[in-house]
Amino acid sequence: MKLLLFDRDKLGVYKGENIVDVSGAISGNTYFSPQGIMNDIIANFSSYKSKIQEIVNANDGVPASSVKISAPLPYPNQLIAMAVNYMEFGARSAPAPINAFLKSPDSVIGNGDTVELPSADAAIFHHEAELGLVIGKKGFKIQAKDAYDYIFGYVNFIDVSARGLGNGSFYWGKSWDTFGPMGPCITTADEISDPQNLDIKLWVNDVLRQDFNSNDMGHNIARCIEWVSQTTVLEPGDIIVTGTNHQGLGAIQDGDKIEIEIENLNRLTVYVKDNLKREWPTGIDQATADRAAGRTTSGGFGERS
Amino acid sequence: MKLLLFDDYQLGVLNKDGNVVNVSQEVENFDKMPPNLRVVEVINNWSKYQPKFNNCIENNSGTDISGHKILPPLPKPGKMVCMAVNYMENGTRSEPAPINAFLKSPNSVIGDGDTIEMSEQDAIVFEHEAELAMIIGKEAKNAKQDDWRDYIFGYMNFIDVSSRGLGAPPMDSFFAMKSPNTSAPMGPFIVTADEIPDPLNLDVKLWVNGKLRQDYHTSDMAHKIPRCIEWTSSITKLNPGDIVPTGTNHRGLGPIHDGDKIEMEIENMGKLTVFVKDSLKRQWADETRLERQEKGEKETMAPRIK
Repeated sequence: MKLLLFDRDKLGVYKGENIVDVSGAISGNTYFSPQGIMNDIIANFSSYKSKIQEIVNANDGVPASSVKISAPLPYPNQLIAMAVNYMEFGARSAPAPINAFLKSPDSVIGNGDTVELPSADAAIFHHEAELGLVIGKKGFKIQAKDAYDYIFGYVNFIDVSARGLGNGSFYWGKSWDTFGPMGPCITTADEISDPQNLDIKLWVNDVLRQDFNSNDMGHNIARCIEWVSQTTVLEPGDIIVTGTNHQGLGAIQDGDKIEIEIENLNRLTVYVKDNLKREWPTGIDQATADRAAGRTTSGGFGERS
Repeated sequence: MKLLLFDDYQLGVLNKDGNVVNVSQEVENFDKMPPNLRVVEVINNWSKYQPKFNNCIENNSGTDISGHKILPPLPKPGKMVCMAVNYMENGTRSEPAPINAFLKSPNSVIGDGDTIEMSEQDAIVFEHEAELAMIIGKEAKNAKQDDWRDYIFGYMNFIDVSSRGLGAPPMDSFFAMKSPNTSAPMGPFIVTADEIPDPLNLDVKLWVNGKLRQDYHTSDMAHKIPRCIEWTSSITKLNPGDIVPTGTNHRGLGPIHDGDKIEMEIENMGKLTVFVKDSLKRQWADETRLERQEKGEKETMAPRIK
């Protein structure tokens, strides 16, 4: 099932290209935020599932283009992002030491929304296409062998990144408002047979920039959940984004259209606005690609000469 | 006014005798509201609730606070944006470190009387960082320094427990170092900003097992409160109920161990007491960073001895 939120506080399910309003499955409940709706659906999915499915079966829905889709997790309690977590098409001899950072819940935006580049003097702003794991069950100190029991579903995520600010500070580089495009939907785990074998693609103005497979991940999904949950209690509605392959990163700038699509997670489209109208070379940032792959030891990631 | 959550997330206000007056039923939808939103609702509608609460505490003798279980006033904040390296260390720094911050997990929060459960991961040392925390009262985005008071609802004690060396240093490893479960003791209550006329003129003290470890003054802050509000809100919107701890003076930091009792008190903010549990019973030399410096030790932090 592909679950989403639309028109602010309506619960929807994709039926082909259409969206069926399944809010009837939760009528009478009190929620204090759209995130609260999705948290409840995730935490109690077994009790909502058949009711939702009945509504989907009985309705054709409306074209997705006729509604405003918001992020399926519009304000997650924990948005945990894995750092440097790909083998860069096998170019790395070993995974980087496992690490993560928290990204602000205020960074989250949804389909059709706009990434607003701040006036801060970043060297470059990058898109990072990532597979997001939506947590379905509360867990702490989870063992890798049990990790998949804690995954409710999967979602497209773009970890927009400002380079060259704050000497590598993740708060400064990653947490800007609007730097967390997510969606359009959460695809439940039963529809993703092998999350470690998914094509991940990202386009800027219809030109393919990132094109990699989740099988190139440095620390695999089970290990990410194991490691993150050594630190913090994971709860339904939390999200772990699993990092990006840096081969194919490039600048984003005013007027750009960015699309990401992971197999079976539908396509997410967002736009970019920069009041300062700064310009960078279009296309792939080869210096960052080379640095991430270990072909060079300097340059890239917005390093200033 | 001093606001707290207690027992089963009831909302309390302290009266002039320091007793707890239950004001929960003054708040709309209180019983339906998740605990983490109860104080946020009050902050969002403070002008409505303040006179009602005042009326409650004037007309109610309340109950002794010691008879209640005190809970963290913001049990799961929307965001905790913590200032990093933000003191002049009693003037020993020649200039402030570049301004920086990190996010701490909302799930790391504990309250008065609770226990810090040290991670079993192999940290170099676990240290307490006593901090003045600001509670945001109004949405702030690109706030101007001069308007800083408009955005602050109140203040409270905050201990930024730090698990040194976890993660992947030298990469920014604040998640593993700062977000371990139970690493954010706060409270016992929020003091509204009207009772703290000058937050840069406060004594901050922290004791471990009755021995004074940290004893510093907020006037030593490097990037002052107006700048912290301006800078953090330039990156991410600050919302009512978000928490911004302002950093610590590191000179009195020292190791914490299984069985320790930690107490922290900032003037007029009550005393926060928490305990420490370490299932591995690790031990470090019982020395603060300043004591080690004065002995001429090369390593800043206390070494592990068991």
